[in-house]
Formats: sequence, C-alpha cells, structure tokens
Amino acid sequence: MNQIFLQFLLGIMFLTIVFLHLSKKNFSASIAYGIQSLVIVLFFLNSFFETNNLAILLVVFLMLIVKVILAPLFFIRLIKKNALAFSVSTYLNTPLTIISIAILTFIAHYQKFSPLTSIVPANQDSLSLALSAMFLSLFLIINRKGALSQILGVLSLENSIVAFVIFAGLEQNPALQIGIMFNIGIWILIATIFMSMILKHFGTLNVSSMNNLKG
Amino acid sequence: MTIIILEIQIILTPLVSPLCAGVINKIKARLQNRKGASIFQPYRDLWKLLHKDEIISRDASWIFRIAPFIVFSITLLIGASIPLFTSFLTNTLTGDMLLIVYALAIGTFFLALGGLDIGSAFGGFGSSREMTLSALAEGGFIFSLLTIALINGTTNIFAIANADIFLHGKYLFPTLLAFGGFLVVLLAETARFPYDNPATHLELTMIHEAMILEYSGKKLALMEWASFNKLLSFNKLFIFLALWVNLFFPIGLAYTPGVITISMGIIIFMIKIFLGVLLIALLESSMAKFRFFRLPDLLLISFILNAIAIGLIR
Amino acid sequence: MLEIITSPISFFILLSLFFVGAIGSLLLRKDDDSANIWSNFFAIAGSLWGLLFSVATIISEHTAAFLVNGSPFPLLSFSFNIDLLSAFFIFIISLIALFCSIYAVGYVRHYYQKYNIGALGFFYNFFILGILLVLTASNGIFFLIGWEIMSVASFFMVIYDRDDQENVKAGFLYLVMTYIGTAFIVVAFLLLYKFIGSFDFVTIKSGVALLPIGAKNIIFLAALIGFGVKAGIIPLHIWLPAAHPAAPSHISALMSGVMIKTGIFMMMRLFLDILQPIPIWWGIVVLIIGIISSLLGVLYALTEHDIKRLLAYHSIENIGIILLGLGSALIFSSLSMPALAFLSLVAALFHTLNHAIFKSLLFLGAGSVINQMHTRNMEEYGGLIKYMPQTAFFFLIGSMAISALPPFNGFFSEWLTFQSLFQGIAILDSSMRWLFILAVGALAFTGGLALACFVKAFGSIFLARPRSTEVTHAKESPRSMLIGMGALAMLSFLFGIFSSQTVSLLEKIGRSFDVLQKIPETILVSNSQGLMIENSFSSVSGLTFLLSLVGALIVVAIIIDLIINRSQKIKIGATWDCGTDLNPRMEITSTGFARSIVVIFKGILKPSIQHTIDYSDSESRYLPRTRTVSLGVGDVYKSYFYQPILTMITSLSMRVKNIQSGNTNIYVLYILIALLVSLFSIL
Repeated sequence: MNQIFLQFLLGIMFLTIVFLHLSKKNFSASIAYGIQSLVIVLFFLNSFFETNNLAILLVVFLMLIVKVILAPLFFIRLIKKNALAFSVSTYLNTPLTIISIAILTFIAHYQKFSPLTSIVPANQDSLSLALSAMFLSLFLIINRKGALSQILGVLSLENSIVAFVIFAGLEQNPALQIGIMFNIGIWILIATIFMSMILKHFGTLNVSSMNNLKG
Repeated sequence: MTIIILEIQIILTPLVSPLCAGVINKIKARLQNRKGASIFQPYRDLWKLLHKDEIISRDASWIFRIAPFIVFSITLLIGASIPLFTSFLTNTLTGDMLLIVYALAIGTFFLALGGLDIGSAFGGFGSSREMTLSALAEGGFIFSLLTIALINGTTNIFAIANADIFLHGKYLFPTLLAFGGFLVVLLAETARFPYDNPATHLELTMIHEAMILEYSGKKLALMEWASFNKLLSFNKLFIFLALWVNLFFPIGLAYTPGVITISMGIIIFMIKIFLGVLLIALLESSMAKFRFFRLPDLLLISFILNAIAIGLIR
Repeated sequence: MLEIITSPISFFILLSLFFVGAIGSLLLRKDDDSANIWSNFFAIAGSLWGLLFSVATIISEHTAAFLVNGSPFPLLSFSFNIDLLSAFFIFIISLIALFCSIYAVGYVRHYYQKYNIGALGFFYNFFILGILLVLTASNGIFFLIGWEIMSVASFFMVIYDRDDQENVKAGFLYLVMTYIGTAFIVVAFLLLYKFIGSFDFVTIKSGVALLPIGAKNIIFLAALIGFGVKAGIIPLHIWLPAAHPAAPSHISALMSGVMIKTGIFMMMRLFLDILQPIPIWWGIVVLIIGIISSLLGVLYALTEHDIKRLLAYHSIENIGIILLGLGSALIFSSLSMPALAFLSLVAALFHTLNHAIFKSLLFLGAGSVINQMHTRNMEEYGGLIKYMPQTAFFFLIGSMAISALPPFNGFFSEWLTFQSLFQGIAILDSSMRWLFILAVGALAFTGGLALACFVKAFGSIFLARPRSTEVTHAKESPRSMLIGMGALAMLSFLFGIFSSQTVSLLEKIGRSFDVLQKIPETILVSNSQGLMIENSFSSVSGLTFLLSLVGALIVVAIIIDLIINRSQKIKIGATWDCGTDLNPRMEITSTGFARSIVVIFKGILKPSIQHTIDYSDSESRYLPRTRTVSLGVGDVYKSYFYQPILTMITSLSMRVKNIQSGNTNIYVLYILIALLVSLFSIL
C-alpha cells in the first residue's frame, strides 16, 4: 500500500482522537477507540507486507484480537453494567476545547520540533501529526472528568506513540513489539481490577469526586 | 653559695609576709589617728593560732582538711619560683608566668571548695563571689604579665627580671599601663579594698573572710599566712614591674663580692616592698569598698588597660 | 614485628573485632548478661588492638594506604589511608573506648530487664566501627558511608532510654542537625568532584589547583558548616546539650570525647592537608568561631544545673579552644610561617587528646552519680563525697584537669595554645595582632570561668550536706566503673607529668603534614624535663612542679602537724549556724552560685526572672500561700536563628502544598506541561 493510503489512515486516527474529545456518549467513544486500533493494525499489516517479519504478523494478530475486538467489547460491557451511558462533562466547554486542540496541533507542527519530526524527512508531516495525536491524548486525560474517558485517553496515547514509531521506521524493533504486547496485557488487567475497585470504593467513576488523594 | 641563696629565696616569703600585713595595718591606723597594733602583731597572731585546738564541722570532708595545706604550699612554691632579690638564678622549670597564674588558681580552687564544704551560707556565698572575681581577674592578670613578656620576648619571669630594657623610652608607657592594670588585679586577688574588707567578718564585706570563716587553729593559721604570702608574692611582682633598671644586679657567677650585692638586693627589695605597702595602705584609707556588681567593671578596666598596653608595643 | 602490627591485615582484624562484637551482641540479645559481656569484651579487645596498632604506627611512622577491590559502583572505592593523623585519632578513640567499655560492664547492669542490651551492644560496636571508617577512609563516598554508620548508630543510642520523652525529642533534634551537616558535607564533596573529577582524597589533593577560587571558598564554607555541626560550634550546637545528656553515660563520654573530634579531624584533614594553599580569611573565620564557642560555651555551662548538660556545654568550650589552635595554625600557614603553624597544630592535637581523656572521666563520674541518684538535677545532690568517696576523688581530678590546673594534662595543652597565640601577637602586624589579643583574652577568661564552673559543679554534687534523702541511699559504684574512671584519672595525671614526651610524639604527627615539612628543628624542644619554645621564649616542666609541690606539702605538713603543738586536739562539731537549725536549704545552690556571673554577663545570657504569687485571699493581698520564682536563661539561638528559618520553611511548604490539589486531571496537566517544556528546551 502506498504512502498516501497510510497518511489517510493516520488522518482517520487523528480524527478519532478529536472525536473522542467531542463525544458525549461513552458508547461512541469506545467505538472510536476500536477504529483507532484498527488503523494501527492496518499500519502493522502494511509493514508486514513490506518486510515479511513473522513477529510483526504475530503482533498484528494479537492486536487485532485484543485492541480492536476485545477492548471495545469490554468497555461496552462496562458501560452497560454500570449504566455509564453518558460521559461526564469536561472542564473546558466545547469551543474552548476545540481551540485548545488547535493550539496543541499547531505546537506539534511548530518548527521547534523539527529535529524530532525529521527523523524520516519524507514522513515529516505524518510524524508531526502523530506527535499532535500524542498531545491531544494527554489533553483528553486532562480535560475529561470520567475515569473511562481517561483510560481511553491513555490507550489512545499509546496508539499514537505506536503510530509515531511506525512512521519513524522503528517498528522492526522487537523491543517495541514486546513492549506493546506487555503494555496491553497489563493495561487490561489493571483496568479491570482498578475500575471495579474504584467503583466499589467511591461508588462512581467521576474522578473529581475522588478528593481523598489530596495532599 | 647558691644553696644559701636558694634557702633564703624559699624562706623569705613566709618570713616577711606577716610583716607586710602588720605594716599596712599600722599605716592605716596612723592615718586614722590611732596608735595601732605593733607591726609584729601578725606574727603573734599566727603563733597563737598555731597553738589552739580546732573544731571541725561534721559536714566537712577531707577537702576541708587538706585545703589549707595546699593553699599554703602553693604560695611557698610560687614565692620560691619568682625573683625576689636576685635575678641571676635561672629557673626554666617553674618560672613560667602562665604556670604562676594557674598555680595560684589551684590555691583559689581549693580555698573555694573549702568554703563550700562546710555547708554554711557564708561559705557558699564567699566562694561564689570569690570565683566570680577570680574568673574575671584572670584575664587582666594574664594580660599584664603578657605585656612585659612581649616586651622582653620571653615568658620566663626570671629572664624578664634579668633584662634591663625597661624605662628606656618607648616601653615606658606600656609598662606603666600594665603596672596600673596589674595593681587592680593585685587588689582583687589579695582581697583588699575596694574588693573586700579584710578587717571585717560581716557578710556584706567579705569574700575571702567568708570562705575561711569556719577554720580554726592550725588550719586558720595556714590560711591567714597564705593570704599574707599571696600579698607578698603579689607585692613583689608588682614591684619588679615598676622599678627595674639598675636595681637588680646581674651577678653571674662571681660569688665573693656576692654577699654584698645580695644584701643590697635584699635591702632594696625591702624598700620596694615598703613603698608598695604604703601605696596599698593609702588606697585603703582613701576609698570605700565598692558595691559587688561594680567590681567587674573595675576588672574590665584593668583588662582594657593591659590590652592597650600590648597594642602599644611596637 | 612492627611491620605486621601496622599492616592492613592488622587494621582489618581491628575492624572485624568490633564487627563480631556487634553481630554477636545482637544474636545474644535474649540474655542480657551475656550480651553485655560479649559486646564489651570485644570492644575492649578491639580497643586494645587499636591502641597497639596506632602507637606502633606513630612510633614507626609506617603509614598505610591500601585499596580493597570489588566495589560494584564506579565512584565508590573502598580505599583506606592510615597516615599519622588518622593513627593519632585512632589512638584517642581506642583509649577512650577501652575505659568506657570497662566502665560499661558495670554501668549497663542497671538497664537490665528494661531495655534490650543486645541492641545497645550492637549499636555501640557499630558506632566505634563507623568512627574508625571515618578516620581512615580515603574516598569521599566511602567516608560518607562511615559517617552515616556513625551518626545512625549514635542516634539509636541517644534514644535508647526511650521511656523519657525528652530523650526521644533530643534524639530527633540530633538526627535533624546531623543530616543538615551531612547535606553540607555532601555539597562540598560534590563541588570537589565537579572540578577535579574524583571522590578520592589523594586525587583531590593533587588536583587542587584546578579549583577556581570561588568554588574553593564555597567548599570551605560548606565543609565548615557540615563538620562544624558535628563538632558543635556555636551557633550550630543546639543538638549537643540535648543529645549528650539523653544517651547512657558511657556513650555520652564516647560521643563527647571522640565523635565530635571527628569533625575537627576532617577540618584538619581538609584545610591543612588537602585544600592547601588556603587564603588567610579561612583561618580568621575558624579563629573567630573558636573565640565565640569557647566563651559562650563556658557561659552557658555556668547557667546549667543539669550535670550532663553542663558537661556538654564544656565540650563546646573545649572545641572552641581546639579551634583556637587550629585557626591560628591555618593563619600561620597562609602567611608562610610553618614553624608557628606547627606549634599551633601541636597545641590543638594535644588539647584534643587531653579533652577526650578528662571529658570522658567527667561523664563517667556523672554517670555513676546519676545511677545512684536517678536524677540529673544537681540541686538534689550534695554531700556525696561521704557516700561515694572514690568517685568524688576521680571527679575532682577531672575537674582540676578541665580547669587547666597544673600538673594535670589540661594545663599543658592550654599552655601550648597560649604560647602559640603569644607568638602570634609578638610576630604579626597590627590588624591580625588584635585578633590574637582577643583570642588570648577569650582563652584567659574561659580558663577562669571554667574554674568557677567546676567549683560550682564539684561543690554542689559532692560537698556539704545532702540536699535530698536520695543521697543517703547512694552507694559507691561497682568495681568495673571505678576501674574505668580511675584509669582515666591516672592518664590525666600521667599525660600532664609526661607532657614533654607526649608532645615529642605529637611533633611527628605535625611534621607529617606537607605544608609543615620545612621547619627548623628547635621550634618546640621537648626534652625530658619539660616543654620549651624556641629562642627560650618559655618553658615549663610539669614533673618539677609536681615534685616541688609534693615536697612543699610534705614539709609543711610535717612541720605544722607534728612539730608545732603536738598536743592539739581536734574536735568535731557542727558548722556555725548562728543559732538556728542547720538544714540543707542553708547551703548555696548551684544556681545561686553562678547567678552573680550570669548577672554580670546578662547582655549575652539574657537571664529572666519571674515571680508568681498565690494569695490565700485574692481580694486583700496580704497573706501569700505560695510564691514561685522562676529563673531562666534566654535561648538566643532558637529564637533568633532557628525559629525564623523554621517559620520560613514552613510557610513556604504551606504554599507549595497547594500544588497537590487531589485532582488527577491537574496532575496530568503538570505532565503535559513538563513534556512540552522539556521538549522545547532540549530540541
């Protein structure tokens, strides 16, 4: 598959993150995450076709199962079980959120980051886009009050890092692949346990009411 | 010959010191228009005390019993270690000025402990005041001796006495300042006016007397004698500070003409002592005892005078 | 033979003796008696070995510098450097530890069944081990390891008697101050590393020229503060009067006699050895600190009526005296007068040794008394000389030694200090001269005030009538305690009499410093008779003094007692009481004794007096029921120095606390900002 298609996919991923910011319903957020993960799987598939590395095929397979299928299913089940239909409000209202998104994207494309984004000069735009995806994911965690959205933010941060790495040409690194797998495993585990614990203890997943962490 | 000189050196102090006390009392009496006791009265007092029985307090310990001996022996030792009428004896072993200061401090230490040992209010307060004044006087004492030590380039008392560069021009003023400072310290250490009234036993005026209030008999004799000794030791230190040149004959080893020079030395020494004693008697008759808390100011003045004297050297 | 004794193997045997003592004591903790015997036996064995080792090293001048391989970290190397200065300090600690351990055999018995004896033995041996490491380490990080061992072990021993809350608070203050000091020491070492590139002392010494002058000054200040906290200079001393009384008495003796000297040791090592050549203002600062510490230390000691606090303040005073010697040595070395620097250094070293001996003696004596009286308050003592005669005698010797009375050792080291200061006055020009004149004045007053303080202490504790009934139940200490104290008293006497021999050994140590290599032979001639300074400036002989004094005493005693009036009768009667009944309240109290001096120095000490009267009838105030008078001394350091710093830190912390809002979103915002900022700055 040629570069244009890959960039198109990256654009889709970027849009899913923006969508995550703007969505009001948790259900659609989970679906957006699923789409994002699918994009990443397609990236990896592309690199498999280019390099024929079996490890990558394994990664593709696992990612497909866990991230694209299982994770959104898990989230949907959680939503249904705990009636978290609507995602809780954000700190900044929608216009301000959009402005912040724009600022962060602009920062990522800023010249100052060119040493970082010029690792593979041909892909500079893509790398900047991936970097902005990273910033936006972080912003998602900051902006949202619901624990579910925050977890989605962390997962999409991870996806954007993987995207960055792919476009930087580093996906051959076995450490990256193992790291990704390990990361997914741990995250699912912790998410399950933590969520149930938080729910049990606080009675809600609304993070702003968890004030006992105050110093 | 040296042996005879040494013997005279050792016994001169205890022999002559009661005489000094007697002379002071006589002069004061005359100034007060009285006839006064004979100048040999202290000798008689000592004799009397040595032949009396003693009463020792049941609260006292062995420190009380041993203190008079230590105090007296120290003054004997110091008397023998400083130049009295000769300067050709070299004493590099015990003639250091710091040793003299601290050896006298041993005497003060045991005197104060003896005063505390009996557990009476007088003794305790006397010790407290004595230690206060002695602590403050030590600074002035060391400094005044330091002045002449620096002038002569040595802290050995005999070597200082042997030198004759005093009264020559530039060192006259520092020497006089040090002399004045030393006089203040001398009055403090020997419990004379304006620090203490040696004639009374009232609580208001006594520092030294308070500490020896409980002593009797032989021990009292030793204590009194020691205080006379201290007076004498101090006297001569202060004298040799003042009147230096040509008064000590640097003799060397020629002893045959020595008899005359030594006798001259002794006579001139007596004259100097008499002058000093006269000065003390005049001071005592002309001023009253100071309030206790004014005394540290006086000692501080002595300290500063000596510090200035040191600063003026060179 | 000497080769074997001074070899590295021998040093490791020394370390292992203490190590075995520590571990074994911990293992035996179930049985109090065997833990006590085991730990003290190994401490005694270790001390004896240490004495042998150090004396052999000093006499034969076989210094040893060796390295133990196998450090897992690149910057830490287990390198030791046992030169003559280290050997001298090892000698001091072995000597004091020997007698403190002998004393401890009897003393620790009164902690049986109350606390864990095994733990005490463990920390005690580790403490000595830590000090040995501090004295011999030649690598900055290794030094810090030993320093930490020493500090932590002593902390646990300070809070050992934890039933009393005051002790725990004192331990906490001690810990905080020690760590503040350690922080400054670490800063000094890090600065040295930054410019010279190594933590190894030998490398630092050869690379000292690489230090820019600004960094060198900062290193000096940091090291001065850091080691000064340990040594207890004013105003960094506030932990000393709290921690030394809290610890068991033989530990207080070790802490006061040896541990605070490690600060002095490192100051000598750094300023006179490693960082040479040094600017003159360093010596001036040290000298001024010495003046202030000695005067203020003794003044505060006069205000105390807790016997161990009094002794702790006297430690501060004596550290001040040692710093007078060290400061003048630094000044002389900067002015290229190595002969005089040598004299001052020898004076400081001798006083270090002497202070260790007589201060330990005094603390051990105090420990015996406190053991019997169960209180540290001197106002409740009195008349103990009849119940504890040997302890009283040893305490008397300690008091005479610390007040610098001949023929004990304190006099000779103060004599040497005086002489070095006199030389300074004689030789230096006017501006420096006044500083030395001030120093002589301070030393003179310190000597006099110390004498007053020990008259007060000895008199209140041992003389006159008992002030409380507890005194009448006091018994003399067990034999091991008496042996420990007696040996120290004997040493105090012997080091005074044989001061000239001791000083000739100390001269060797002084000559081992590079900066003092080229000096004429006759600056300090100590022959068999006495000490002598060059050009016959002065000389003194302890032995002659002693012999003549004893001779005079004997002659006088014979004449007075036996010859004159042999038939004198001595009756025992009551003290003159003016007709009233004698009771203990008629005696002077220790507070009253010192009150005159306190009032004279009220500008410095800020005494306060408060009256409270409780009337029987509050309307017509004629008949008081009780009247309370509180006498106090203002604590200047806490209110002007530490409290403002503490308030500032606390208010700063309160404001910084607002960052922690408890909201996870804010925390992630911090992460984002940090990420952006770091990316901006790196790229």
